[in-house]
Amino acid sequence: MAASVRMDLGDIQGDILRAYGNDYDCTTYAFMKIECPPEQARAWFTGVVDHVTTAAPWPPGEKPLTTLNVSVTARGLRALGVSEEVVGSFSREFRDGMSSRSALLGDVGPSDPKSWEPGLGSGDAHILLTINAQRTSDHERALGKMKAAMDAAGGLRIVYQADTELLPGSREHFGYADGFAQPAIEGTSDDKARGGGVPLKDGEWRALAPGEFILGYPDEDTRVDPKKRLPNAPAAPLGRSGTYMVWRKLYQDVALWRRVMRDAAKLYEGGDEHTLSAKVVGRWTNGAPLVKYPDKAPASFDPQTPGGNDFRYDKDKDGMRCPLGAHIRRSNPRDALGFEGHLSFRHRMIRRGMPYGKVLPEGVTADDGEDRGLVFVSFQASISRQFEGVQVQWLNAGNIFGLGHDKDFLLGDPHGTGKMTIPGKPPFFLSPQEVFVRTRGGEYLFVPGMTALAALADGTAG
Amino acid sequence: MRRTRSSTVASPNVSGQAYAFMAMTPVRPGEEKPLADYLRGLRDRGPSPLAKLPRTHIGRFVIVPDFHHDPTWKQRREEHLDLNYLIFTSNFDGDLDSYLDELCERLAPEAKEIWGRCVGCPESAKGAALKRYLEHNQIKTGMFFAAYGQATVGAVKSSLRQRDKLIEFAIRAQAMEPDALQKAFLSEFDAVR
Amino acid sequence: MSVQTSSPGPITATGTQPRNHDGQVIAITVFSTIKLPGRLFLPVLFQVTRRVPKLTATLRELSFIHFARWCVIGKLPYNGPPQKKGRFRYPHMYFESNFNGGWEEYIDAFSHILTSGMTAFWGTSYGFPKPLPTAPFKRYIQDNETEADHYYCAYPDATSTMIQRALELDEKLAALRRDAKRMQPDAFAAAYRAFLTDAQNAL
Ligand code: HEM
Repeated sequence: MAASVRMDLGDIQGDILRAYGNDYDCTTYAFMKIECPPEQARAWFTGVVDHVTTAAPWPPGEKPLTTLNVSVTARGLRALGVSEEVVGSFSREFRDGMSSRSALLGDVGPSDPKSWEPGLGSGDAHILLTINAQRTSDHERALGKMKAAMDAAGGLRIVYQADTELLPGSREHFGYADGFAQPAIEGTSDDKARGGGVPLKDGEWRALAPGEFILGYPDEDTRVDPKKRLPNAPAAPLGRSGTYMVWRKLYQDVALWRRVMRDAAKLYEGGDEHTLSAKVVGRWTNGAPLVKYPDKAPASFDPQTPGGNDFRYDKDKDGMRCPLGAHIRRSNPRDALGFEGHLSFRHRMIRRGMPYGKVLPEGVTADDGEDRGLVFVSFQASISRQFEGVQVQWLNAGNIFGLGHDKDFLLGDPHGTGKMTIPGKPPFFLSPQEVFVRTRGGEYLFVPGMTALAALADGTAG
Repeated sequence: MRRTRSSTVASPNVSGQAYAFMAMTPVRPGEEKPLADYLRGLRDRGPSPLAKLPRTHIGRFVIVPDFHHDPTWKQRREEHLDLNYLIFTSNFDGDLDSYLDELCERLAPEAKEIWGRCVGCPESAKGAALKRYLEHNQIKTGMFFAAYGQATVGAVKSSLRQRDKLIEFAIRAQAMEPDALQKAFLSEFDAVR
Repeated sequence: MSVQTSSPGPITATGTQPRNHDGQVIAITVFSTIKLPGRLFLPVLFQVTRRVPKLTATLRELSFIHFARWCVIGKLPYNGPPQKKGRFRYPHMYFESNFNGGWEEYIDAFSHILTSGMTAFWGTSYGFPKPLPTAPFKRYIQDNETEADHYYCAYPDATSTMIQRALELDEKLAALRRDAKRMQPDAFAAAYRAFLTDAQNAL
């Protein structure tokens, strides 16, 4: 199949298939509400669409200073004048919205949508503009232009804005290198198949069908379908070259995380906090995977180098190297569930998260009141099968890994067993589970392709 | 138990010591909605009546209005159910005879609302008459799969409780010296014997 | 998604109707209409599957299911009017399962992993679209599925895997309990560590 898949990169928005990655340091997410009639909103939208960055490769040396990408919520579609019939062709969870799925997602207690930041999960977020910039100055100019266009159009309001910035070494706030383990996609990243694709029985790997991530293309079901039917997608032209997007603002309580790990480590292998924390993640801070480096982190490790992400769990069935409950083993079990990856291969997602807020200086274990965390972003053809499947069945529930009601310790939802088992002889029980991460808000969105954006702008999307 | 051991093993209704019972009874015309309302409302009114039968692992009531028919199926003729049918299935411990005795006695108030709405159910909807009715409408199992058919409800529940207790203990005991560990273990787990 | 107060566990019973679950456990209830060859073939298949444990080994290994059953119904017991008497034109197969995890994940697992088993059990049913691809197969199941009106599990918070591990744990713990009193503290501590090492995947 690999040879036959040709992605129409000019029709797909940028940053989905290939990360802008370290090309841009700052990202702003601006959620807008449309408070004017659809025609007026579309006039503004037309101007926005003209500036959207596509996935078409940049000519050498012509990297734009800033990029712009657009996505919409179900309410946003309606506000742009899309008919109920067409909105009805989108997936159920997208139409219902993230906040309506809170019980399912584990957004309860301090993460309950009732206490989300204003503008998120309330139905006010219609359009999301994502602006990337290489430098702060470019960033400010781009934001200024966006605001000017909005003011000129009238009837539009920014209801929520998140400004994020890459941390040194692409770390997230707990201190771990993040964002490099991504699914390998046919026709796009076949070279990353080893470690990024589907683990096959013979030790080989294969890249995933592009339709798992971009609608209008064959997915894993098409592969085994003699009739080669394409996956479910919204009505044309919206269904082509688009994808669903999950956006979540996840607050990280770094001081609490440090205190819990420090205290727990007192009983673990002579106070080895560094190793204990790595066991929770499944990687050392520099990204080196525990299955390959069980005893200590290699002095230098670049997860982006070829083969950096190439590993399996087959030699570590009992989790002595990488715990069965480690974050990366739960969120992408690779071959760990057996059956040639058949229980996991349809639950992959492209992650494009960005940290927000200032770093808590090393060694500090008292909270400084600063808002910091991760803006979690994922792209997938089906929110329910991919993002929700991972969040609900793998991170929030441990059953499929034989972990009972143990939850992902890193995310720290205490409503399960409240501990994590670090396999060993004897095993170590990491407890108590504290709320390290809290959901501060989020939305389910749709990222239209370029043709679809044009149709939305001129009111011909149906 | 009336059956001999060998016939128990051979019965397709049985796996280990677990029994798969199914009764499929016609709903009296006009009673479809009241029956559905009653069954659907059980959850709101308190614990499931099946909880009164402690040998029940898992049970269900399903009203089937008709067989599904799709014109694209190359089926010579459509086939419809003449009436709505109520399906009751239970996966329970031990033998059917005594289970039905318990059911017909303990579920008498509910049985009137449930099978009392079905064609041919005796007026009283309890005791020996109800038992005969359910036996008469039993559907034999073709194949029964039970993941832990050897374990009774009681055994399942007590082992789950024990597991919880052990997890809690294992966390607490991590800091203990041998002496204290043994004492704590004995006080936690020996008394249960 | 309805949250059932009876169960404090995580919500994993996704992708199905609210009355089809009690806590962690999902009910599936499906009727299918059997073609002529199935009338002869299915009873044989049931017999053989019951007698050859190897045939259900994968099902056990998947460990999603608590209880499942298949029944072939050629005619219903007669209870007097207005019920009609007589045999069905076609036999019908009743299938029920009681399982953990999401509905979609469950069907996906069956399609991809028990492909030949699925074809054996449903291949003689009208309209059965083959287990793969999964989308038409899921539609087929959905079309033929009936939502439960009332569903009950005695231990809604537990999963099948948890139960099986807890039962194994029982036996291991019993041995330690038996010997604990007679041991010296150091010997006990060693025995306890050995027990934890042995039983860690059940905790
Ligand atoms: C604040 C919350 C979170 C933090 C700090 C975090 C941190 C990390 C880190 C350090 C890695 C390893 C680096 C990498 O593989 O790129 C990782 C991997 C991953 N995370 Fe998270 N994560 C968070 C939330 C989530 C959530 C909510 C999901 C999904 C619902 C998720 C899904 C994944 C996936 C799929 C991987 C890749 C695993 C692999 O392919 O091997 N993470 N995360």
